[in-house]
Amino acid sequence: MIDQFPILAEINPGLWVILAGLICTLLPVGRARKAFVIAAPIFAGLIIFQLHSVTAAQHLGGVMSFGPIELTTLRIDRLSVVWGYLFCLAGVINGIYALHEKCRITDSSALIYTGAAIAGVLAGDMITLFVMWELTAISSVFLVWKGGDHAYAAGVRYLAIHVLSGVMLLAGAVMHAQANGGDFMFNAIGLDSPGGLLMLLAMGIKVGFPGLHMWMQDAYPKASITGTVILASFTTKFAIYALARGFEGEPVLIWIGAIMTCFPVFFAVVENDLRRVLSFSLNNQLGFMVCGIGIGGALAMNGVVGQVFVHVIFKGLLFMSIGAVMYRTGTAKASELGGLFRSMPYTTMFCLIGAGSIAAFPLLAAFVTKAMILAAAVENHLYIPFLMMLFASAGVMEHSGIKVPHFTFFAHDSGRRVKEAPWNMLAAMSISGFLCFYLAWPFGGYQQLYALMPFEMEHAYKPYTWDHVVFQMQLLFAAIFAFTLLKRFKLYPAERRAEILDVDWLYRRMGLNVAMWGSAMWDRLSANMSRARTRAVSTVGRRLYQTFSPAGAASEATPSGLAAVLTAGLLFVVLVIAYFAR
Amino acid sequence: MSTETEIPVEVEAEAEIETVSAPMDDIHPVSRYFLFLGNEKVKRNFIWFPLVGMIISILLGLHFKQKHPLPIEEYIPGSWAIYGFIAYSLIVLSAGTLFKILGRDESYYGEGGLPDPDYSTDPMVTGEAHHD
Amino acid sequence: MALLNFIPDWLLTHGPAFLMALPLIMAAITSILPNKRVAWASTFIVTAILTITAFALALYNAEVGTTVYKMGGWAPPHGISLVVDALSAPVLVLIALMSFVTVIYALPATVAEIKPNKRAPFYAAFLLCVAGLLGMVITGDAFNVFVFLEVSSISTYVLVAMGAARDRRALSAAYNYLILGSIGATFFVIGIGFLYMETGTLNMADMARILADLDGGSRVAKVAFGFIIIGLGLKLAMFPLHTWLPGAYAYSPTPVTAFLASTATKAALYLLLRFTFFVFDPSYAYVADVLMYVLVGMGVFGMVFASLQAIFQTDARRMLAFSSVAQVGYMLLGIGIATTASVGAGYLHLINHAVIKGGLFLALGAMWYRFGITRTEDFKGLGQTMPWTMGAFTILGLSLIGVPFTAGFVSKINLAGAAAGAGWWWAVGIIMLTSILALVYIGRLLLLAYFQSPPTINGVVVERNEAPLTMLVPMWALALGSIFIGVESDAVVGASIRAAELLLGTG
Repeated sequence: MIDQFPILAEINPGLWVILAGLICTLLPVGRARKAFVIAAPIFAGLIIFQLHSVTAAQHLGGVMSFGPIELTTLRIDRLSVVWGYLFCLAGVINGIYALHEKCRITDSSALIYTGAAIAGVLAGDMITLFVMWELTAISSVFLVWKGGDHAYAAGVRYLAIHVLSGVMLLAGAVMHAQANGGDFMFNAIGLDSPGGLLMLLAMGIKVGFPGLHMWMQDAYPKASITGTVILASFTTKFAIYALARGFEGEPVLIWIGAIMTCFPVFFAVVENDLRRVLSFSLNNQLGFMVCGIGIGGALAMNGVVGQVFVHVIFKGLLFMSIGAVMYRTGTAKASELGGLFRSMPYTTMFCLIGAGSIAAFPLLAAFVTKAMILAAAVENHLYIPFLMMLFASAGVMEHSGIKVPHFTFFAHDSGRRVKEAPWNMLAAMSISGFLCFYLAWPFGGYQQLYALMPFEMEHAYKPYTWDHVVFQMQLLFAAIFAFTLLKRFKLYPAERRAEILDVDWLYRRMGLNVAMWGSAMWDRLSANMSRARTRAVSTVGRRLYQTFSPAGAASEATPSGLAAVLTAGLLFVVLVIAYFAR
Repeated sequence: MSTETEIPVEVEAEAEIETVSAPMDDIHPVSRYFLFLGNEKVKRNFIWFPLVGMIISILLGLHFKQKHPLPIEEYIPGSWAIYGFIAYSLIVLSAGTLFKILGRDESYYGEGGLPDPDYSTDPMVTGEAHHD
Repeated sequence: MALLNFIPDWLLTHGPAFLMALPLIMAAITSILPNKRVAWASTFIVTAILTITAFALALYNAEVGTTVYKMGGWAPPHGISLVVDALSAPVLVLIALMSFVTVIYALPATVAEIKPNKRAPFYAAFLLCVAGLLGMVITGDAFNVFVFLEVSSISTYVLVAMGAARDRRALSAAYNYLILGSIGATFFVIGIGFLYMETGTLNMADMARILADLDGGSRVAKVAFGFIIIGLGLKLAMFPLHTWLPGAYAYSPTPVTAFLASTATKAALYLLLRFTFFVFDPSYAYVADVLMYVLVGMGVFGMVFASLQAIFQTDARRMLAFSSVAQVGYMLLGIGIATTASVGAGYLHLINHAVIKGGLFLALGAMWYRFGITRTEDFKGLGQTMPWTMGAFTILGLSLIGVPFTAGFVSKINLAGAAAGAGWWWAVGIIMLTSILALVYIGRLLLLAYFQSPPTINGVVVERNEAPLTMLVPMWALALGSIFIGVESDAVVGASIRAAELLLGTG
């Protein structure tokens, strides 16, 4: 294909997906749109495959210059190609999951969003990265807004935060490039320049660093059913890619990541909205990856890459299963659900597979990759971060492994008798469910994942050793035992409907109040000021009038008069500056 | 925003419930084989499954030592089980206090967090149309 | 250049005089034309010819470099010269092109806004204004600059006052503009007087040479510089001297607003560049200090404060007017940093902003034409009722914010790069901040237009009512132009760099 059309080697494959999305904005035929939704990511994936196998090391293309800036819009190397494949795969699965939904906005914005994410990870320079960074934000906000009227404000906040992150990324990139003699290629950045710090902060917003994370739990649970699934696949993983590329082995990330794994655990346990629980769980998973990037080195980085890959699949699976429940029952609140295994057995099974994968049961996805990050932490004698991550693993078991499936499908029977999920949702979930097994299968499964990993390891990490399996099972069984014990003694808190405060209180409540107070004060102040000013000006004006003009024209001070005074004042300033010039 | 919106086929599902007479008819055919999961006895005795599993894995752990243990870990049998149990209990038991500190009414921000009345069957929600 | 082969030689040699004289003469004739259609047609033809001439001269300039045309055959120091160089040629094209675009738009707009018996004078005043603007850009004689400045200003006061048929506040706005504009012109002519005292010549190239011989000159030159800066500062709406601008933009007839926003302040900025870098020189300590403290200081203040003011406006045209003040701040910042890259970026933003803001005001004018929209809250549902107009507005608005692949992005990234290159990191931060503010005030309108339903009047939803083609064509031409500049930026960036190299003598 590449041989016949050499142009394909120059154009970032993500752009084809974006183009498909743009066509979909105008396409009134639902079936044709769905064909694009499925076909475009497959097409992009095929191109990536061909380009990657043509040149083993890296493929650069689409070089163009804007004035003094040289852009390399396409770079496929061993790191970025993983994300390229992953996003194409996720795009297809999400497309299948959304087949039932006849909505032009969802289809087109999902495609543009997916394409922007693919194009972003395959971008070679920081300007293209920035453009795609912003495009993912702008295109995905429509998915939030499709959640209904109550999602509108959350969508605006989401957009504002992401646009801010993008602008910071651009500013950081410009500063970093200036420090490096105008080189805009996106490679390791480091923290020794203010530009690097700004870029880290921009990525930190998008990846959900502790304290900068709240947009995620704010917007994701309010998006439409398919929207949440699509949103959860790309944005944060795109940012993980940027971190992995730019800040590998940056020690501060170890601690940020470790804290990031722990704090969402506490929020997830009190939260009632299951989609928000999953968002916290997403945040916690990202913590493992951030920590792995901070540790650096072949083992940890391969762990991160693998973790990202399986994470998108099993986290998507969890969101899909809860989405299916919400599609049928109309709610994702734990307090309103329960006992649904009686009506949705397949969905229950897929949710359990996803829960087992995220909790890292042996033979399920995260078992291999999470262990690589943990092993790298021990290898580097980072005991405290290791213990924090182990603590968080128990937490993952709590909120995603037990709470989500238990309160949805088991627990006390809510009496809801609904239909099983539509066939397309089941199909999407079964693909993900299969991959959860396949990518951790000891005989030829996880080796496929290893083949994708970008860094050469001296001794490939062996996940299926007795000690690893046994100790992991200790952790998991102990957690389940603790759960049943606490349940038995009625110590496990009941699910209650509530809004749980988080960092966003700072801007949603306190900031709003301060702004409202400030605006009220400003109104009063300006009223007083203008009264005082009119009084003063009119006094002076009257005096002037009495002095200079016996028969009155306008006695009121006009704005042009004020402006004239300003002009004279500024002239005076200029003359003084010119006079005292060296 | 758009004229096309997704409306779940909830009406049909509810209509089915109305016509159901036999208790088993509303259960998914596959689920009929798993109804024991809802049995009170099974639920109560489920506790033995993780307990036994934990004990077996602790015993196995005595034989298969960890290759890279933490500094004092090799002297603690079942270290991960203990850690997991404590961590899990700590997380769950902190929930009550956290809820007291952070929990607010659902309408706290005045912009939802409530389920959409178009979907929800909760009487508290369907009664008031907050989205108008 | 193959295109040049189609241009007759006499147009290339006498084009400069033609640019200035044709609109002047035609203004006199147009004013007495009895039929308003004929008046429009004559204006249309004149501006079309001007556009072609300006383009030809710009192409010719790119080929052969600076050309000096001697009026009446008198040699420069004594006679009046007309100079077409890398600095003036793009601005000439800009003014001619914007006048042409505006005239197309004016055909339906004047019918709605100007009384029938005032239309011929309207077009005459418009042509006078064009003549003044072109003249002050092309002339090489400092006093002549003043004359043309006054020609354009006085006709502008008339044009602004003609908005009174629509909104009586146009009269006070025009009065305000008249007072302040006259103060500015007076300051400017005082400055020229001092400069004449110092150098004994009125030809700008000559002045520059003599000032350089005097190593910047005595205090008289300093005072002259101060007066000229402030006089031009008023004309170009430098931050605290901008008070005339919102009123003039908001209440004048819509074609006038679009034309003024894209050309009047830009011509004044051109003069500022001409005087600070060409006549004077930043190597004189007083010029450098004023650039550093006044232009940059006021530019940055203007960027932030005017953007904030724009956010809180309820009248859409006032909002865009404050945004113009903020955008002037970008250009002043570029000029103040005073490196080749930064001056080039400032000059680039001058051109790009003219295209963007002209288009935005045209779109707003079309909205007023169909629905009488002036307030921001009336934007509700415009995405459905006027999709094409709103489409152009969206593209141009995104360009104003600085979204990639638009003109605004190209100039902002160049400016940020130039600021960073000179080590002015804080300025990069300010540019970022004001871009976000621009996102807020434009995004506010876009959200209303696309995510709210059209209003209902007497229970009936307002129906789609698109602007006429004569309005859509000009605004879409500018919108596509801004995308074109964003994608194919080489030509415009190259022109701006050439202008900056000419000014700073680095070329």
